[in-house]
Amino acid sequence: MPMRFNRALGALGAAVAVVAIAAAPASAQNTQGISDKTIKIGNLGPFTGESSIFTPLNFGPEAYLRSINAQGGVHGRTFETVFADDACNEAKGIAAAKKLIYEDKVFMIMGHPCSGVAMAIKPMLDKEGVPWMGLAANPKLTRPTVPSMFSSYTGIESGSAMAAFALTKPGVKKIAIVQHSNDWAAGYCNPATDYIKANGAEVVISTAMERGSTDATAQALQIKQSGAQAVMGCLYQQELVILLRDMAKYGVDAIVLGALGADFNQTVQQVGNPAAVKQKFFQPYQFQAKIGTGPLKPYRELFLKYLTKDELPKSGEPTNFYYFGVPVGIVTVEAFKRAGPAPTREKWIEAVESLKGFETNVFADTANFSKDNHVGFRRMFAVGLNDAGEETVYSTWGKPLPPSGS
Amino acid sequence: MILSQLVISGVATGMLYALIALSMTVGYRATTVVNFGHGDIVMMGAYAMLFLAVGVGMPFPLALALAASGLFLFGFLMQRGLMAPIIAGPHLSLAIMALAVGYALRGVARIEWGNDILLLPRPYAQNAFLLGPVVITMDDLVITGSVLLLLLLLFVVFNVTRIGKVIQAVFQTQRGAQLVGINVPAFHCIMWGAGTTLGTAGGVLLALIVPLTPDMGVWTLVRGFAAMTLGGFGSLHGAVIGGVLLGLMEKLLGFYVSTVFIDISGYLITILVLLIRPQGLFGQHATLRV
Amino acid sequence: MQRSASDGAARAVVSRRVLWIVPILLLPLPLLLNPYQQYVINLVLVYVPVAIGFNVVVGNLGLLAFSNVAFFGIGAYTAGILMVRLGLPWWVAVPPAALMGAVAGCAASVPALRGVRLFYLAIMTLAFGELMRWVYIRWIPVTGGSFGMALPPPDLFGWSLDSEAGKFYVFLGLVLVAIIATDRILRSRFGRAFVAIKSDELAAAAMGVPTNRYITLGFAWGGAVVGVGGAMYAALIGHLSPPAFDLTELILEFAIIMVGGLGSLVGSVIGAVIITAAPEFFHELPGYQELLFGILIVLVILFLPRGLASLLARAHPLFRDRYDRG
Repeated sequence: MPMRFNRALGALGAAVAVVAIAAAPASAQNTQGISDKTIKIGNLGPFTGESSIFTPLNFGPEAYLRSINAQGGVHGRTFETVFADDACNEAKGIAAAKKLIYEDKVFMIMGHPCSGVAMAIKPMLDKEGVPWMGLAANPKLTRPTVPSMFSSYTGIESGSAMAAFALTKPGVKKIAIVQHSNDWAAGYCNPATDYIKANGAEVVISTAMERGSTDATAQALQIKQSGAQAVMGCLYQQELVILLRDMAKYGVDAIVLGALGADFNQTVQQVGNPAAVKQKFFQPYQFQAKIGTGPLKPYRELFLKYLTKDELPKSGEPTNFYYFGVPVGIVTVEAFKRAGPAPTREKWIEAVESLKGFETNVFADTANFSKDNHVGFRRMFAVGLNDAGEETVYSTWGKPLPPSGS
Repeated sequence: MILSQLVISGVATGMLYALIALSMTVGYRATTVVNFGHGDIVMMGAYAMLFLAVGVGMPFPLALALAASGLFLFGFLMQRGLMAPIIAGPHLSLAIMALAVGYALRGVARIEWGNDILLLPRPYAQNAFLLGPVVITMDDLVITGSVLLLLLLLFVVFNVTRIGKVIQAVFQTQRGAQLVGINVPAFHCIMWGAGTTLGTAGGVLLALIVPLTPDMGVWTLVRGFAAMTLGGFGSLHGAVIGGVLLGLMEKLLGFYVSTVFIDISGYLITILVLLIRPQGLFGQHATLRV
Repeated sequence: MQRSASDGAARAVVSRRVLWIVPILLLPLPLLLNPYQQYVINLVLVYVPVAIGFNVVVGNLGLLAFSNVAFFGIGAYTAGILMVRLGLPWWVAVPPAALMGAVAGCAASVPALRGVRLFYLAIMTLAFGELMRWVYIRWIPVTGGSFGMALPPPDLFGWSLDSEAGKFYVFLGLVLVAIIATDRILRSRFGRAFVAIKSDELAAAAMGVPTNRYITLGFAWGGAVVGVGGAMYAALIGHLSPPAFDLTELILEFAIIMVGGLGSLVGSVIGAVIITAAPEFFHELPGYQELLFGILIVLVILFLPRGLASLLARAHPLFRDRYDRG
């Protein structure tokens, strides 16, 4: 018996050795995912679960890639997208990213995972040198800079923009914070708090408001009592609507800056009370015009043309999330154009880092990347309703942008 | 002034919790099974209403009637097809069955409405009234009024009509009820359906004030549980009082201590009550004496 | 009758040794698979102890304890905190993770000792699990709060487990220990006491079985095994954040033991394999996972109440591990 067992072990060892030799050269390569005719790209995001509401951020760039494919692609290659679902869960997110890298063998990954997932996959992307272009509220993804990873905006830009706009209103010195107890909200409200403190204002009260709240009485009354003149609302749309409604209900006289987890128009409409939002509710605005108008109009058509029914909202217009996502696709494609007819990962990364003052026709800011800076966009405006109740984009408090031809 | 405001709005919120707890209690009293999928059924009721009123464009009362009957049918069939076959089995299977049904419902809602945040348009003007320094909104009045009305209806059904006697009989002894000729399985189905219908009412009221997401079921369930535990399992007036107390506690703790406690009020109540007084305020025999 | 039963038992012990072939066959696995597949296998291995511990309390002891995700999270966070805050190597952090899991198990058994049973116990332990998630969010200096905590790569006696293959062998070892130890316990007088408590607690107490002590022990053992699963999770994922330990996770863990088979060790293993790996085969239908999962559990409860393990047991006596029958 032991004799036979040893022999079996020996055979097993031999089998292992053979397999190990056979499997050895299968490491990721510089041109993985590039064929003569196609470029394979992974699109990672939360397609299931609570955060699936944000998947328009994934569909925006996908629509752009499809439109490029319709024009014949880049240097004769069309884009082939593999979607992967992180379900906003680290365990599933790592599986999804590993599948993209080791099984689908994509050239790069594009998308916007939840920040926990982003942090969990960051070491792997860095180690394998897989290019990444995306959006993530969590600034740790691209700061400190990792050679292969790029973002359009992070929570730092958006959070600082919220605070910066509020502080341009004369007399605003006391600020209140209302936020979900999650990483997404901290991604906005932490940089907002830093900005407030660095610019001579004060956070007078910090309150929590969780998902599934049915009202905001305690928060609104605390804000009222604190005498805050402005509120940073790092809340998803449902809770933002409730906060605005209840602040109006209790006559809290403070402006509210929402984070980018809500669609401006839908929020205004769902509050259902013009007095609660007019010259009261603002959001950072990353676009150069009203969505669906002016330079952004072609993108509206692009979404409607290239996205399927399931990828578009059930009813109504494409929301701001589609537009927010699209520059990720634009920058990615531009880098492939610049990387030339024989792209490698190094060439693509160099191409992104060469983008200076690159105009996306979507964002207010131009794209500016460099070796040390992998966050491409900074400047933001603010959107709100003017005295006449019209949606208006402001550069600072009381200063609307000149209207662009629609 | 702030205290009275917190109390008024706590009661209004609490009424909503009361209705959820009440709807769970109705099903529990009939079958002695706690419906772990109830939160998602409330969610489904809200979406059904939204679909009929906004998607199809029906007038509000008609949509409400249809949504309520649809969810009644769902509850009836769920009891008949999924719960009844395993009712003699372990409690665990019953709990997980309901949990799984709820999870599947969440999946359906996500596929159908997951990319949108939707709000039910109110069929009334969104006014606010001042009662001294205290603000009361039309929403508060509609919610409180509806719950009180449903409570009155339930009170009459349970205490005045013959159905009430049947309910009492089955709750006390299922075998005995069967012996005197009550069709207990059918009764279970009807009462389970009644529970989901009441849950739908809760979902519709919720949809008036909160934009809907497929995930609202979890929060609903937790608050329903807390209110039910506090009031005492199986007690109808206990569920209502438990709901109102939970609403009050959330507001008072949230304002005077910290808003971070609002979210865990329900959990704290559940744990403390079951540790200290498992039968709650008005319930009976909740523990096993060994 | 008596003799044939003990004969059968003896034969079962001998033939169960054959099951050693399974881990041995698994040994070359990492070499055959790409890192993605290796990772999925490792994730399966993480869920084996998680399911085993859960199944002891729910399946063998028969208590409706919905606090498993709390034990899982406590194990994971204990390992993570020791690694990040105290700089301990991962392998040193595994025993404390088991210990904290056991402590949490004892804590969760308190209501059961006070007579809280059935749905009440379910609701209460559910609340305990959610409360723990609140602790991970709020105890920011220690847990990293909602941003979570990035962990250094795990190691074993100074040997880095940076690769999926390295983790695989260590995990396989831990899983084997968990399986063998749990099997021993379930076959001992502890296991027989669990059976007595599950089938009729009052009768067991009347017969002089110290039911409370066994309930606490069951919870503690379950919590410890799940705690080890948590430490393995920390090593595999390398990042801990509160949403990983929410109610969806509980439903996933329930699906594992229901589909695998309540009260069956074989069931815990099969359930972990199927439920953890299944989503990887349905990448084309991402939005349908919740719906399919819900329907799967419903179907299992209706038509296969003892899970897939009962099918296997019917196919071959080797897989018969119903501890509640001789």
